[in-house]
Amino acid sequence: MHVLGWAAAVVALLPLLGVVFAALQPGRADIAFKDIARYATTSGVVALGVAIVTGVVGTLAAWLVALHRFPMRGVFAWALALPLAVPAFALAYSYSQIFDVGGLFRMWLRPAMGFDIPLQMRSIPGAIFVLSCAFYPYVFLAMRAAFVSQSVHPVEAARMLGCSVGEAFRRTALPLARPALAAGIALAVMETLADYGAVQFLSVQTLTTGVVRAWSVYGSPASAARFALPLLVTAAALFALERWGRQGRRFETTRGQQRTLEPVALSGLKAWGATLFCLLILTLGLLLPVGYLLWRSLEVTPDWARLWTATGRTLSMGLIGAAATVALATLLALGARHMPVVTRIASLGYATPGAVMAIGLLGPATVLWTIAPSTISGAGVSVALLVYAYAARLMAAALEPIEAGLSKVTPAMGFAARSLGHGEFSTAARIQLPIAKGALLTAGLIVFVDVLKELPATLILRPFDFDTLAVLASNYALDERLAQAGWPSLLIIGLALPGVIWLTRQVTKTGRARTTKE
Amino acid sequence: MSEHATLLLSNARRSYNGRVAVSDASLSLSAGRITALLGPSGSGKSTILRMIAGLEPLDDGTLHAGDALLADQHSSVPPEHRDIGLVFQDYALFPHLTVADNVAFGLKGSKKDRRAQALEWLAHVKLADRADSWPHMLSGGEQQRVALVRALARKPRAILLDEPFSGLDRHLKSEVRRSLIDTLRASGTAVLIVTHDAEEALMMADDLVLMDKGVILQSGSPQDCYQHPSSIAAARLLGEAEVLKALIKDGIATTVFGSVPCDLADGEGWLMTRPESIHASPACEGAKVTAIAFGGTFSELTLEKDGQSLRLRTPFTALKIGDVASVRFDEATTSVYADVNG
Repeated sequence: MHVLGWAAAVVALLPLLGVVFAALQPGRADIAFKDIARYATTSGVVALGVAIVTGVVGTLAAWLVALHRFPMRGVFAWALALPLAVPAFALAYSYSQIFDVGGLFRMWLRPAMGFDIPLQMRSIPGAIFVLSCAFYPYVFLAMRAAFVSQSVHPVEAARMLGCSVGEAFRRTALPLARPALAAGIALAVMETLADYGAVQFLSVQTLTTGVVRAWSVYGSPASAARFALPLLVTAAALFALERWGRQGRRFETTRGQQRTLEPVALSGLKAWGATLFCLLILTLGLLLPVGYLLWRSLEVTPDWARLWTATGRTLSMGLIGAAATVALATLLALGARHMPVVTRIASLGYATPGAVMAIGLLGPATVLWTIAPSTISGAGVSVALLVYAYAARLMAAALEPIEAGLSKVTPAMGFAARSLGHGEFSTAARIQLPIAKGALLTAGLIVFVDVLKELPATLILRPFDFDTLAVLASNYALDERLAQAGWPSLLIIGLALPGVIWLTRQVTKTGRARTTKE
Repeated sequence: MSEHATLLLSNARRSYNGRVAVSDASLSLSAGRITALLGPSGSGKSTILRMIAGLEPLDDGTLHAGDALLADQHSSVPPEHRDIGLVFQDYALFPHLTVADNVAFGLKGSKKDRRAQALEWLAHVKLADRADSWPHMLSGGEQQRVALVRALARKPRAILLDEPFSGLDRHLKSEVRRSLIDTLRASGTAVLIVTHDAEEALMMADDLVLMDKGVILQSGSPQDCYQHPSSIAAARLLGEAEVLKALIKDGIATTVFGSVPCDLADGEGWLMTRPESIHASPACEGAKVTAIAFGGTFSELTLEKDGQSLRLRTPFTALKIGDVASVRFDEATTSVYADVNG
């Protein structure tokens, strides 16, 4: 079992080593350091902006939903997480049209208000807005979980020491939730740095667009890897931050098991204000952009044949990716239960953008092609590599619920099975896996939804003419056929939404939440 | 006893990161006999249990089952091949299996056959009607019976029980204890019970093993261990002990409160006795009663003399605070040691 755990860790680590190795190779189209610095600065500014906006919006929404009663609060508790079903590039397509000079909003604004606001979506602030709409749910879910599980005792103690309700919250509950905030923001920033589709469409040149461009335009893995290196380092730092935040949260919940904070009932204007605020966020993150895409898409007749082929491929990649990732993560969880270092190494890929992962796999792939060019079909290898990239990237996201599920199996239960005559593998098959069944399903769903939305790794590694829905949407969008791009985007949302609803309902029902990837 | 031992642990040693958990421990388990391993938490008793079960390797020493070697410092038969049953402190019932499936888990044969056996075992412990319940629906005592028959159903050569009563309410313990002992005796297997509760160990065991700080202090019958503890540390494991400085001369150990005969050489020594083995009666001179606490079935008196104090327990006393009393020790349950650590 230990051996299998190590093997799974190596699988996850290999592409990361591939990036470092590729970066050390001399590249044909050498990228100047100042170009990398420029791209990195843009990435940094966008990430900072998203961190601030998601931090504020996510915390406010979580605070309202977790600690107050107001109309429709029960719906918002899970609905506010639904933008996780929407790929960021779909939001970018939608908003760039809505706020375009010739778009709906400003066509209405000019005659109605007599002035125009020079909104420019294809800009850094535009990218920050779009990505914040897409990624605030990470902060929302983390903070909601932190507030819901927090013990009432520090707040009560603060009130006994003379604080008002608001002051007590600000001085005790909020600082106590700080680790969760760090974890939530770290996730939002990780996703921001990993995004390719949205920033590319909005003409904002981040490191990830640099990686893809260096590969697709110059065909140079070495140059691409050089763009990828700073991303890799940042990813590791963010991952560490996220883990640190999570540890703090776990600590809180174990201490605060007796009694949790009681929601305050809001009335009148305050209540409606809270409802309106949540509705506004949900509108910006889901209703408006998706509604607009739907409305525009209905104006055109889609290319059904291409759309169905892409849907079939997306679904099969999602299912294969989910199965492979869950299998690897399960091996890792079972094999490395008491080897935290191994799981940490294997989880490093999690924060790594898909584009970087893909570049890291190009090296091993080239070796494979050179060794056996004729025995394996090129397309087969490409698909296998793509699944590999998904698994390496999403292993940690799957690992977390699986570990949580397996933690229900006490060491004594495992030992009991052993003392009753069952070997290590029989024990895993008859005790651990059946008990963690639900967790395996959750993990599979998380991976499935993420694979549906994945773009950059698919763009780099896919076989020739192998279009997933995300690739199809991206191609239409590049041709400025945005109404056509709406169809594949909507199909992704349609496929992802049931899964996301199920996951968020599960999380919000129990009150305790995993911060990752719901 | 050891010639007929079912399991024989010899000179076992185990340390973690340089800290010795068990050193030079030897004990034997025999078919049909109940052995209790008594020690405070951290004494290494659970490590011994885990070494016998196969969940912990031996750094040194051997474990034999009859003539077969189960473990030494080089090799270890995996737990599933040792034919040793283990009942965990928290019972470790499988939550996703019904009571009957839990019991059938370790059995061989067809599904029908295994279920029939499981039901038979459950009937032994009066739980046949709970066969299709889930473990969480049972009370603590019922869960323990399921865990016990789950281990016994495989007819192991030995069965190990880790703190079997720690999870139960106090008022349930004596009843559960009786039914547990009956089941264990009926099985005829060798039994090892690990516990920190002296009363539990004394009442259940045929053979008692006392352990502290990774070392086995004494083995023997419960009466022998209680009446003639090999050291003051062993004495303290079995109940409250009063220890007094004594002067030994001509086979008599004398303390400020009184004296008892002993067979040690002349010199300084220590007298150990139990609070209930001390008797005080009104006298003109002797120790002064400084405190009396009422404990229900007994009263606890504190006596003082020459700056030393002594506690005793008695069902009835006519003494009051400030009275003077003479003290007498029960010789059968009083021991004298040359060394306070010995």
